[in-house]
Amino acid sequence: MKIQISDLYFTYPTGVEALRGISFMIESGEQVAIVGQNGAGKTTLVKHFNGLLQPTSGRVLIGDWNTKEHSVAKLARRVGYVFQNPDEQLFSKNVGIEVAFGPKNLGFDSERIQALVKDTLAMTELSDKTEMNPYDLSATWRKMVALASIVAMDTDIVIFDEPTTGQDAVNVTRIANVIRNLREHGKTVITITHDIDFCAENFERVIALSQGKVLLDGKANEVLGQEDLLATTYVDPPQLTRLGKRLGFKETVRNQEEFLNALKM
Amino acid sequence: MHERLSFYTKRDSLLHRLNPLTKLTLVLGLLLIAFVTPWYWTPHVLLLIVIFPLSFIGKVNREFFRAFLRLIIPAATFLFLMQAFFQPIGQQVIFKIWFLDITKESLLFAFRNAMRIIVMVSSFTLFLLTTHPSELMSDLTRRGLPGQFAYVIISTLQIIPQMQAKAQTIISAQRSRGLDTESNFIKRAGSVFPLVGPLVFGSLVEVEERAIAIEARGFTSTHPKTSLRDIPDRNIDRILRWLLIILIIACIALRIWLS
Amino acid sequence: MAIVTLDNVTYKYPLTDSPALKEISLQVNEGEFVAVIGPNGAGKSTLCYALAGFVPHFFKGELTGTVLVDGKDLLKSTLNEWVLHVGLAFQNPFNQISGAKYTVFEELAFGLENIGIPRDEMISRVETAMKLTGISDLADRSPYSLSGGQQQRVALTSILVMQPKVLVLDEPTSQMDPIGTREVFSVIRTLAEQGMTVILVEHKVEWIAQFADRVIALHDGQILLEGTPSEVLTSDLLQGKGFGISRYTSTAREAKKLGLWKKETLPVTLDEAAEGFS
Repeated sequence: MKIQISDLYFTYPTGVEALRGISFMIESGEQVAIVGQNGAGKTTLVKHFNGLLQPTSGRVLIGDWNTKEHSVAKLARRVGYVFQNPDEQLFSKNVGIEVAFGPKNLGFDSERIQALVKDTLAMTELSDKTEMNPYDLSATWRKMVALASIVAMDTDIVIFDEPTTGQDAVNVTRIANVIRNLREHGKTVITITHDIDFCAENFERVIALSQGKVLLDGKANEVLGQEDLLATTYVDPPQLTRLGKRLGFKETVRNQEEFLNALKM
Repeated sequence: MHERLSFYTKRDSLLHRLNPLTKLTLVLGLLLIAFVTPWYWTPHVLLLIVIFPLSFIGKVNREFFRAFLRLIIPAATFLFLMQAFFQPIGQQVIFKIWFLDITKESLLFAFRNAMRIIVMVSSFTLFLLTTHPSELMSDLTRRGLPGQFAYVIISTLQIIPQMQAKAQTIISAQRSRGLDTESNFIKRAGSVFPLVGPLVFGSLVEVEERAIAIEARGFTSTHPKTSLRDIPDRNIDRILRWLLIILIIACIALRIWLS
Repeated sequence: MAIVTLDNVTYKYPLTDSPALKEISLQVNEGEFVAVIGPNGAGKSTLCYALAGFVPHFFKGELTGTVLVDGKDLLKSTLNEWVLHVGLAFQNPFNQISGAKYTVFEELAFGLENIGIPRDEMISRVETAMKLTGISDLADRSPYSLSGGQQQRVALTSILVMQPKVLVLDEPTSQMDPIGTREVFSVIRTLAEQGMTVILVEHKVEWIAQFADRVIALHDGQILLEGTPSEVLTSDLLQGKGFGISRYTSTAREAKKLGLWKKETLPVTLDEAAEGFS
């Protein structure tokens, strides 16, 4: 499902102009990371994808739906949004019920809901915790429950808002696995992240925002190699990219595989 | 987003400079005098010759009258109508509306009660406009109010706007999971738990951390506490408080003597 | 000279089956900067609570062994006394704002009011601490109006004014954006350079490698490894146990297998890696 943003402007009621003319297209199945300093407009932009915010001017198309013409509940069929703080979402008696909440709201039949919940819990390594109360779990596992609740909605597009903040290496790997799983199922994945290494290793395309505008938009290797421009929106390049540059590599590398290949040459 | 929830308006006036306890005594005094004094026109007089002028002395007249017209008058009017129509007293029916008899006595009764309420709420409003909650709590703590009590009040005031913001985020998050907050009432009634649940449970998580944080800063220390702010309690404050207390006692005595 | 000594400390939270800390013994010298790493659930936060006295005095549960700070025994002290020796700051800056005060200056004085410090000394301590952590310009702001990085610096400063002997920091940058992280690390570095004894739980190993004196790797409630940053952060022992290690280290390890990394020790920082690969 395509996402088309045309000339998007957004000003908050307080008068702050958060988005100042954004246009781009995301094809079905793409994996896109959105980076940039706090206040650049990342969350504001992404909230337009599921209708939480409406453009002040410009247009947002999710597939063939103009977000102006559909409620947030309706757009939730096409766009899943994983919020940053799981505690702002979790309320059910147990994990199973919590994960079923989204699919239930979308009106799926009980067979489909059961299947989706089962598969999602397996994907997020929560199967053995199905009967537990989310608030009896550690912060790490609550994060996975929140993630599972959205993934179970089986939407074509999934948005992650800072998924790895505060997570340890093990959980970051788990989250990366979920994203890879989504990719294999042809879903479009969009993430906002400060963790540039996580971004480099899991996303093909990077959009850098600065002060409400698109600063850079392109393949991860191209964007992440532009140190100086990225610095203007307080984004440091990934560790291996920096190392590659220091060693004088011609091409920008963004993960271990590329680095070792470049080293061999 | 509001940073804090309080009426306090910063000005440099005689009222602002009075000690918080003095102002509190004044409010109590006005309240008691309005309710206890047998003369019918007491509340009306208090409002006109004490409360209104004080709002000017306190340089908060604009804010005061805005609150007065927007909140106090409508609320008091409602009360007046309720009492006048639904608490019939006496015999002299002035007019009928439908099946309700309106008597002269109940009109007079309701009017006086409404005015008493107005005096009470107005004096509190004036108090809140001219007293910073932090100042009030510091002063009361110095006089012996338990520190925990003051903490609960102030932190509640500050946390409300934060809670509102949090509630907004929760609503957004649940809407994004397909929760319908726009259609019919029955559906909306069922959506209470997904909205209230995270607010309550999430807050419990935060509360424990905050408890640790304030504990780490000696909150439960049994040491006698000191205060950063020095809230003056001048002679005029003491004199005013004593005068008010005498006045209150006199009114109560008058009431007892006359009945 | 050891200012912190843990001797065979085992602790179990109430209503749990297994201990969160198992026979932990460690020593920290005065002025040392020790970093603690480990996967979630390893017991890092519990260790911080044990150092700061919240375990067992706040959380209850059974603690065996000895915790000594500056010669004082935790099990023989009350929490009220203990917080004067050990300061604690943690992940979420928002939850560390007391909510009792309307300006940053008053917020910083909150702790001192509680312990009965005279007004003049209060003011002087707050002003000194603010200068040290670089937040003097925030004095009149409401704590709730600040950014995450600013709030976290206020939280650190509010602990600093209590003048503890030891500062325990539990993942203070985990929820910060890059700017906030930089600000907080800068403050921690300043404090460490000023001679404060700092125990820092962190995931960002690259920074730890540059500034910590020693690293302790915690796993499943026990100390797995202890030593210099280079020794611990490049150790093979950390493999496959959920420790987050620097990509320079993991890449160099792979490169070594391919014969592309010639040095004996693996790098942790960018500089070490650049030097080793060129």
